[in-house]
Parts: sequence; structure tokens; C-alpha cells
Amino acid sequence: MTDEILMEAVKNGNLQQASLLFERYNKKIFNFLARMTMDRELAEDLTQNVFLRMLKYRNSYREGSRFQSWIYQIARNVFSDHYQVNKNRFSDHIDVEKIGEHMADRDESDEMLEKEKLLHQSMAKLTEEQRELLVLTRFQHMKYEEVAAIMDTTVANIKVKVHRAILKLREHYFELEKI
Amino acid sequence: MEKEILESLIIDYIDNKLTTADRQRVEHELVNNPAAYRLYEELKEILHVMDHASRLEPSTKLKAGFESILNEEVKSSGRGKTVSFYGNFYRIAAAVALLVVGGSIGFWISKYNEQQAHMIAIQNDLANTRRLMLAMLNDDQSASKRIQGVNQTIGLETVDAQLVNALVNRLNQDPNSNVRLAALEALSRFLDEPNVKAKLIKSLETQNDPVVQIALIQLMVQIKEKSVIKELERIVDDAESLDAVKDEAHTGILKLS
Repeated sequence: MTDEILMEAVKNGNLQQASLLFERYNKKIFNFLARMTMDRELAEDLTQNVFLRMLKYRNSYREGSRFQSWIYQIARNVFSDHYQVNKNRFSDHIDVEKIGEHMADRDESDEMLEKEKLLHQSMAKLTEEQRELLVLTRFQHMKYEEVAAIMDTTVANIKVKVHRAILKLREHYFELEKI
Repeated sequence: MEKEILESLIIDYIDNKLTTADRQRVEHELVNNPAAYRLYEELKEILHVMDHASRLEPSTKLKAGFESILNEEVKSSGRGKTVSFYGNFYRIAAAVALLVVGGSIGFWISKYNEQQAHMIAIQNDLANTRRLMLAMLNDDQSASKRIQGVNQTIGLETVDAQLVNALVNRLNQDPNSNVRLAALEALSRFLDEPNVKAKLIKSLETQNDPVVQIALIQLMVQIKEKSVIKELERIVDDAESLDAVKDEAHTGILKLS
């Protein structure tokens, strides 16, 4: 059954179908938010919030529109609301040095672990928009078309911005590598 | 080429998203422009790390939390039906069984998709490396680029006909002896591939670089290729052969007979 049919059922009062949507999307949304916040624990809380909003605002889901775009739009709002409510931006309170340890999984090889650590530290130096574009296109392997739908813009625009973000990330990554 | 355009093309090149014409433009630039090549290497590394970054797993708390939110919502919406455990025991059991089966199938499918995506990424990487290797092997301007291209093939597990031909061309026709020797060394690692041995034997007949001739004879002795004895005799009798080559051929005949 497609996501859209399930969401329409939820909208029409069959709330149990939301479990299936949760199964399909919780890891994706959690990974998106973990990469955005660089904080696993916070990401879990925010993911919880996303699914809470999915239920609360189910009536705002427009039939026929793509569920993935909708749920990611909610996730983006939850993310930016969090930092607005807390009146501080991500960059004000993130300790770049510690990010590597927060994020990495333990069973990676040492070299890959080192590189991934460096990657997270470089990601933290990007703007929120750049980080978001890289998380969606590279970590989550979304097509430019899908990202354009989530961000409500054109594919060409996304492509230019993603390329710029990659180049910026490369600068930070190899600068940090030298240290 | 303008820097910004080149940077963007290199990213698409690594992602294997270019037309043949653009791909060739990028390859030309990579072979001739060391700064572009460095950029390519750096971008490749960073894209690789991103594409293969480990996927993070949420704790079990997340699911438990969602279930309680859902239950709350069902209650407060008033339209949710309360399920009586006893009356619906079999339905629940069936639902649980269905969930388990569905979950396993889902897990299997997502694992399979993940593996497919990984395979495609590896294939793209290989295709890029291979194209670059060929471009380097055929670089008429720089012998060191050609040697670099040859040396890159050594790391491969197998080679295809196109790469074998490019290496054989280097072995037989390269103006630089070092490139020829490197090509010979590379080919000697792929003796099990079809035609490689035959092409090396053939090269012995036409090879005109004495250093390579000697290396080839030594290789034939090492792999005990008796079929070259006649050719070695011809070399010994050939007035144009250098003495050092004749000596090597003579030793070869003795060892193979």
C-alpha cells in the first residue's frame, strides 16, 4: 500500500495506519535530524515530535500530494522551531570538536571512523541550508527532484546549491585534515 | 575551462552523470591539469565518505514513545475503537504474525536495495577509474603519465580486452623503455586472462627494445613457456640482435630444453 493511501486513511480517522507510516519513515527522519542537529538524543526527541505533528495535523495533509515531501517538510519545521524556541542557533552551541564522538558508530574501521569524524566536523561548519542539502542528497540518497519538492524550488536551483555545498565541504574537510 | 564549470563537471563525472562529450572534456582536463586532478581526488574522497556514512539507529525508546502518542491520539479522537483483548485474541495474534512476516520481508527488501545501491556505486567507481586509466595510458605527451596509468592497472583484480590491448600497445610501441617495462610487468600479473600469454609470446617476435627483449625472455623462462624455444633460436642466429640479448636467449634455451 502506498504512503499516500495510508496517510489518507489516517486523515479519515483510521489512526492505526499511522504505525505503518512510522515504520517506514522513523529511521529516515531520525537520520535526517541526527545529521542536522549532530546530536542523537535530541534527534530522537525531535523525531517523536515529527510523528506527533503528523497525527495532530493530519487534516492538513492534502490528498494526492506526496507523503514523503509532506513529512520532511514537517521535520524541517520541527528542526527550525526547536532552535527558534531555544533562541539560539545550531552554530552557537555546538562543539565541533566533540561531534565526531557523538555521531560515529563503533564498529567502523579506524580509517573510516577517522574520516567520518572529520566529515561531521566539516558538516558542522556549513550553513544550515547547505548541511540540509547534503544530508538529503548524499546521506539519504534522494534525487534532486525529491529534494526540490520538499524545499519547494526548482531542480536546477537544487543542483547548483548542492554542488556549492559539496565544494564548501571539501574546503573545510581538507583544512581540518591538515590540523 | 572556467573554474566553476569544471568543478561542477567533476562532481557530475564522479557521480557518472555526464554525457560522453562532457566526460571526455573532463578526462582531458584531468590528464593535463594537475590541480584539476587533485580536486577530483579530493572530491572523490569526500563524496565516498558521505555516500557510505554509517546509518544511525534510533533507540527502542523512539518506537515505544510513538506507540503511546498514538494511543493517546486514538483515545482523544474518540473515533478510535477500543479493542477488547479476549474477544479479539485471534485477530491480534494474526496481526502480530502479519507484522512479523511483513517486518522480515521489509527488512530483507531494504537490505537487498542497500546492497544493490552499493554495487552500483562500486561499479560507477570502477568505470571512472578504468576510463581515467585508459586516458592516461594513451597520453602521448607524458611518459610518466603513461607509467602512472600502467601502474594503476596493477591494482586491478582482472582486466578486460580493451585494457589488455592498451597495455600490449605500450609494450610493443611505446617510445620509452620504462613504459614498456612497466607494461610488461603489469601484463605478467594477468597471465591467467585469455590471450595475455599469447600476446606476450607474439611480442617476443617483434620486440625491438633490447632491455624489454631480455625481460621478456626472463619471463618466458620463469613461466616455463617451452613454445618459445624456436623464437629464442632465431634471436640467437639473428645478426641484428645485441650480444646481451643473444646471451639471454641462449641461457633461456638451455633452461627450457
